[in-house]
Amino acid sequence: MAQPVLEWQEGTVTAIRPETRQTKSFTLALPRWMAHRAGMHYDVRLTAPDGYQTERSYSVASAPERVGTIELTVERIADGEVSPYLHDVIVTGDQIEVRGPIGGYFVWEVALGGPLLLIGGGSGVVPLMAMLRHRAAQRATVPVRILYSSRTPEDVIYRSEFDAFAAGDRGFEAFFTFTRQAPPGWSGYRRRIDAAMLAEVIKPFGTQARVYVCGPTLLVEAVASALVPMGLPIEHIRTERFGPTGV
Amino acid sequence: MNMDDADMNTALMVDGNAVAGQLVDVFGRDMTMAVARCAACAREAAMGALMAFTHSPGVVLRCPACQAAIARIVETPTSIYIDARGATFLRMTR
Repeated sequence: MAQPVLEWQEGTVTAIRPETRQTKSFTLALPRWMAHRAGMHYDVRLTAPDGYQTERSYSVASAPERVGTIELTVERIADGEVSPYLHDVIVTGDQIEVRGPIGGYFVWEVALGGPLLLIGGGSGVVPLMAMLRHRAAQRATVPVRILYSSRTPEDVIYRSEFDAFAAGDRGFEAFFTFTRQAPPGWSGYRRRIDAAMLAEVIKPFGTQARVYVCGPTLLVEAVASALVPMGLPIEHIRTERFGPTGV
Repeated sequence: MNMDDADMNTALMVDGNAVAGQLVDVFGRDMTMAVARCAACAREAAMGALMAFTHSPGVVLRCPACQAAIARIVETPTSIYIDARGATFLRMTR
């Protein structure tokens, strides 16, 4: 497949939506928009007045069916270089330098089929939401389950959208686990994702599942090492690690 | 953090996806689906699936099967160095 040349372009921020205390979604209109595949990311580059440049990668949250714009959901990392600038300085109408879409490895599209098991920790849910939005935009009926680990209920990104999917789509089921504080009266999981939890969530899919795991590295390691002994083909387990953030 | 060195390295590890942009700078294209054959164990893996260590002056990409160093990338103000002697080959689709 011939590849388009990936060049930096100036995206215009057309909307900023707070998702949780620590995350915001930024809608960017791109002059050279190109359809991504769900799961891909863009690089964001900031340039200081003295010429110093720094880049970070952020997953696309929006579906590729949304033409002309992309939405990036960004977690604010307190000692970060890029995310505090995006959160605290950028306003609607500003321009941001981006390059993408990048990353053909961690992608799912309807043609790949399922059943689909999505496992996310913290803001690792962002590329998984792109897959869910793509699935919804295509009106696909591929069975999908998502297992999503958050510290507290306030940290759950896209909560209302998960509720809407669950209400209107019999092929969709969401499972939440809370590692620090669960909601009052919560009867679901309240621990880090472990092999027993994975075995329960994957059960109806068995070894047929296509699994996408995104989150802090230690979460991804724990999930991947629990999945392999269950007999899933290794090529059906796709992982994206984003480093040491603890969830 | 009260982790030993091995745990610390694991916690800081990312994967080839995380350096996809840097690979675009080097190769001019998305390399995450390009395949690298490990010179040590002959396993073939998508570059997006390689273990990536980025918390150093350069980037080290390691084989997910045997952990051998497949490639090292170092950028200086004037040059980019790639030491890919740990790969028998890189294969990318046209």
